[in-house]
Amino acid sequence: MKTIWNIARKDLALRSRDRSIFIIGLVAPLALAFIFNLVFGGSINDVGESVRFEYGLVDLDQGDVALAFGDVMANLESEALISVERFGTEAAGRTAVEDGTVDAIIILPADLTSRITSGEPAKLEVVGNVDSPTGATIASSIAERFSTGLASATDAALTAVATGVVDPTGIAEAAAEAGALPPLATVVDIEAGIRQLDAATFFVAGLSIFFMFFVAGLGVTSMLEERRDGTMTRLIASPIRRSSIIAGKALTSVLIGLVAMITLVITSTLVMGANWGRPLGVLLLIVSAVLAVVALMSFVGGLAKTAEQAGNLQSIVAVTLGMLGGTFVPISDPTSFLGKLRFLTPNAWFLRGLADLSGGSIADTLPAVAVLALIAVVFGAAALSVARRVVTT
Amino acid sequence: MTERAVLEATELNKRYGDLHAVRGVSFHIDAGETYGLLGPNGAGKTTTIAMVGGLLENDGGQVLIEGEPMTVHTLDPRRKIGLVPQDLAIYPDLTARENLTFFARLYELGGRRLKDRVENVLEVIGLRDRADDRAGEFSGGMKRRLNIGIGLLHEPRLLILDEPTVGVDPQSRNAILESVEALSADGMAVLYTTHYMEEAERLANRVGIIDQGEIKAEGTRRQLVQMVGERDRISITANGPLESVVSDLRALSGVQDVGASDGQITLLVEDASALLALALETVAKNGASVSSVVVEEPDLEAAFLHLTGKALRD
Repeated sequence: MKTIWNIARKDLALRSRDRSIFIIGLVAPLALAFIFNLVFGGSINDVGESVRFEYGLVDLDQGDVALAFGDVMANLESEALISVERFGTEAAGRTAVEDGTVDAIIILPADLTSRITSGEPAKLEVVGNVDSPTGATIASSIAERFSTGLASATDAALTAVATGVVDPTGIAEAAAEAGALPPLATVVDIEAGIRQLDAATFFVAGLSIFFMFFVAGLGVTSMLEERRDGTMTRLIASPIRRSSIIAGKALTSVLIGLVAMITLVITSTLVMGANWGRPLGVLLLIVSAVLAVVALMSFVGGLAKTAEQAGNLQSIVAVTLGMLGGTFVPISDPTSFLGKLRFLTPNAWFLRGLADLSGGSIADTLPAVAVLALIAVVFGAAALSVARRVVTT
Repeated sequence: MTERAVLEATELNKRYGDLHAVRGVSFHIDAGETYGLLGPNGAGKTTTIAMVGGLLENDGGQVLIEGEPMTVHTLDPRRKIGLVPQDLAIYPDLTARENLTFFARLYELGGRRLKDRVENVLEVIGLRDRADDRAGEFSGGMKRRLNIGIGLLHEPRLLILDEPTVGVDPQSRNAILESVEALSADGMAVLYTTHYMEEAERLANRVGIIDQGEIKAEGTRRQLVQMVGERDRISITANGPLESVVSDLRALSGVQDVGASDGQITLLVEDASALLALALETVAKNGASVSSVVVEEPDLEAAFLHLTGKALRD
């Protein structure tokens, strides 16, 4: 262990004198996230504007208010903005969400009309697909706008009813009209909203994991550099195991990765107002993501014969996985080929883990942590076998 | 060979596909002895060193370091070896002290001993004043000295120097050669590869001439030269009865041939250093006066040419 630390300490000293590590690990992701946030942040939910979202409607009420909401949805559907599928039961709707058949469902409770007409608060429930944050957000907005208008219309209608100006059955019409009003209040339970990242967090997280790929590759690249520069000969000639050299290099990458990621979390929280979620969950995700990316990039780099070749290979893999994993823009359609393919990348699992954490508990991140750990183990073993080939004179 | 050689290499073989890079190379080095492995580029010197240093798996043969087998997997014998690779093996972004400290730790040096050894080596290689400067800022000669210094840190029993003076200025080269002489005098066994004849002649107690992966001949310089029939030459310029001088000189034991012309007597002898005093005494005894003496010992170049059929620079 002493030897491994000795090698890692030397590499850390060398890297700290190389300014590129700070640029790749800290400056670039922060600067890009800041720019992305400025450009897209205010309209991140418009990213999928040209996409037609699939929504489900579970009408357990069948009353006038529910009919009015159905009309609102039908109007949007006629404008080709969304498509609506009706489900007879809440269970069927939730299954459709879990399967990714729809981006979100809106559940109209059985007592919706009666509660509205009696002046009691009502609750619309939105269940969003965690893999379609944009679609879920839009569904929440539709429900929120309707319920907000409904609340204000209800107040007005109740006053009118009380004074005998309006027939109580006309409240539905008033509510439908009010559905188009700007939001004034929130009465809906927006479940989907708790499972997506805000723009600043999304961009910082996505770009952090993207640039992590470049940092993570440094370990194996430095082995190839040591071979090129002749110092590998000296390392091998010394009374240390070759596996210690590999472990020292991997430790360097992991430490640099962890420091860069944690610094980014703190900085983006303080400077950009990013909301990463519970620290322990974030730490779990960061550790597992760094291990996964280091293992993956060590394997990729180990396939190369020279440091230059390794750098090129790693760049190709980093950019490809970054695009696939939704680093730069969210992939709005989880049922598409691309939507499914992205879960082959550590990027997508890291972002998903953060999304799960943003409104859920630490336990919600465990599936993502487990997948990232699995990637680390599988590629770590593969990297070890190819890295042995690099530890030669 | 003494009771137990520091290094004993026996029948080393290495193949790269069809190329038989090293063929049955055997040699040994005792404590305090410098063994020169002399050969042109591509002769198999570096491959031999790589097998001796445990860097490269051999296809046959054995390496023993003070009786312990050395392979690519063994660690203990490595503590007894200081390897100085041909290419500079230093970190240019670390200072001289940081370079030495890092490698010293790999050899399990720590605490007071580590500091003492680093300071001592800095002194030996003449870099104490530049200890905290980055190695990348050093001249070529200073880098070479640092490269050698790293190999000395753990006070090895065997120092392996692979062409340590390639690309070095004459001043640094001389400093390196002096260091090797001092280390050898202190009892360290040294394996020194070079393609510079004069370095092998100056440093090596014994020389192995290697070409095309084979040791063509081995021995002291004198033995190698004699092996190919070369003799020392003593040229004496004198005035007086040269004919009688020549006659007496010819009668001395160890004199192969004597000739005289234009006041100069030329003797071909087996060992000039052993015969010189007697030869001058003989000249004086015949009433001749000596005005100059030149002794020429045949160099390894002739032996190398004879054994390999090519000049070393090839």
